[in-house]
Amino acid sequence: MKTILLIEDDYLDVESVKRALKKADIPHILHVSHNGADALNILTRNEDKVVPDVILLDINLPKMSGLEFLQIAKSYSGLKNIKIFIITTSSEEYDKITAQHFDVAGYILKPLDFKSTTNPDVVKLMNELK
Amino acid sequence: MSVRAQLLVGFSILTMVFLVDFIVNKRLSGVIETNTTYLNNSEAVIRNSNMLHKEMIQMQSAFRGFLLTGQEVFLEPFYEGRNTVPVLIAQQQAILSTAFQKQRLDSIVDIHLQWVKYANSLISTKLDTLPGANAKYIELFETKLRTEVGKKLNDKVRKIFISFDNSEYQLRQERRLALRKSVDTTNKITLSLTIFSILLALVSGIYFINMITKRISNMVKLAEEISRGDFKIIKDQKNDELNRLSIALNSMSMTLKKTFSELTKKNNELDQFAYVVSHDLKTPLRGISNIVSWVEEDHPHELSPDIKRNLELIKSRTGRLENMINGLLEYAKVGKVQKGTETVDILKLLREIIDLVVPKNYSVQIDGVMPFIKTEKLHIEQVFSNLITNAVKYNQSEKPKIIIKARDLKEHYEFTVTDNGIGIQKEYFEKIFDIFHTLQEKDAFESTGVGLAIVKKIIDDYKGSIRVESELGKGSSFIFTWPKRLPTN
Repeated sequence: MKTILLIEDDYLDVESVKRALKKADIPHILHVSHNGADALNILTRNEDKVVPDVILLDINLPKMSGLEFLQIAKSYSGLKNIKIFIITTSSEEYDKITAQHFDVAGYILKPLDFKSTTNPDVVKLMNELK
Repeated sequence: MSVRAQLLVGFSILTMVFLVDFIVNKRLSGVIETNTTYLNNSEAVIRNSNMLHKEMIQMQSAFRGFLLTGQEVFLEPFYEGRNTVPVLIAQQQAILSTAFQKQRLDSIVDIHLQWVKYANSLISTKLDTLPGANAKYIELFETKLRTEVGKKLNDKVRKIFISFDNSEYQLRQERRLALRKSVDTTNKITLSLTIFSILLALVSGIYFINMITKRISNMVKLAEEISRGDFKIIKDQKNDELNRLSIALNSMSMTLKKTFSELTKKNNELDQFAYVVSHDLKTPLRGISNIVSWVEEDHPHELSPDIKRNLELIKSRTGRLENMINGLLEYAKVGKVQKGTETVDILKLLREIIDLVVPKNYSVQIDGVMPFIKTEKLHIEQVFSNLITNAVKYNQSEKPKIIIKARDLKEHYEFTVTDNGIGIQKEYFEKIFDIFHTLQEKDAFESTGVGLAIVKKIIDDYKGSIRVESELGKGSSFIFTWPKRLPTN
């Protein structure tokens, strides 16, 4: 069973991911952070630290944007090997290029749907979670 | 100096020159007039002089005749002469103008009086002695006549008359020469003044034409540049009316520049706004449609048909709203993506679009030679794609047909996309290009009313034009132009 950290501020989107995981019948442990700062905290705190296999990251986040989180996470030696998938509504070229620059594992446009087998990034995520 | 003042000075100088010319000519005509008067006078002098001389000679002949014959009848002209000569002398004195001629006349009078005195004495003595000769007469005859007193006097008078006349002729000749000289001088002065004024007029004319046309053409150039959206200023140092015009033009240019940059800024803000708004609007919208899906998923059997129908309606309406937001987003993005121009093979592009959007049961006809255009491919692709999609979408004919034509105009290509679809009423020919404007009931066609707005926006950006020709029920033609060369801004 894989551990997932979902960094997402919108309750509906969190719910949507949960349902997608459930629908795809993937066993998992899910942690949710509502912003980048909180996520960094639970990833790096001394006690009760979360060590996820996969991070699902939204870009439009309060306080610390997904891209800022990405930049910091990739500079941490303990975090930079965790697979990070961007899940966002943003189809902006700038966001996509910046994310790829930080070597993300995949860039998926919302809504996340595990049935869309034509999307290579979704297939990649599926494989990571098996 | 103002243009008006300069023109005034130029014309004043010319007027002065002509005035001088006039005065010179006026003076010349005065000279000619005095000379003519003089010549007339001189003729009168000669005439008088001849008459006087003739009268004197007649007196002498009469005197001689009497002496020879002793007949008193011979003396008549002599007596007459004694009366007329003084009259003639008086007349001559009145019209003589030169001092030395007057002097001559005086000496003629003098000699004549001497002669008259001498003749009188001989005549009276002769009369006394008639019919026989007496000693007194003989003495006088011997001492005066024989010693040629009278002859000498007569010769003297004749000589003075000759020199008098010669003098008069000579004076006349001098006057004539002087007159010719002054005519010559006047001609020279007039000619040189005329040449001078013509040159002056030419030079000042060229100066004004150069000064005015050069600056006006500069301003025309500026105005043209302004109309092309190139807001420059011109430098004009002179202080005159034209300078005020150029200052006005410059300030207009600056105001326009400022306004335009503000307008551009506002437009960018608006685009940004549209983008942000549509982006942020999509999130809650998707939330709503998610929740509806979840309700359906979670309660597949518990929902009444009414609730199910209403949930379907929510989904379709949120779907339409999302389409509209996507359309708005697409509309805001028009022209933002600049990948650079390339030479686009329109025929190839059309075939690609037709493959993608036209169903197999439609007949598509491509008329005319499709050009190659150097332009941004995405933009012309969006135009054709939207127009062809519309031609497909709004067609209920049994044999649906699309015709695409191209014409080579001078600076543009003109393309026409014609269908045999449902057509458009004339009053909507303009409205269909407004964003979100659709002519169909929302439920009948899934249409957001963005396609033609995007087409219009792209064509406007390329400074082209688009219009529609259509008849309800028979089909529509969309005719648009695309420039051969890209607009400068």
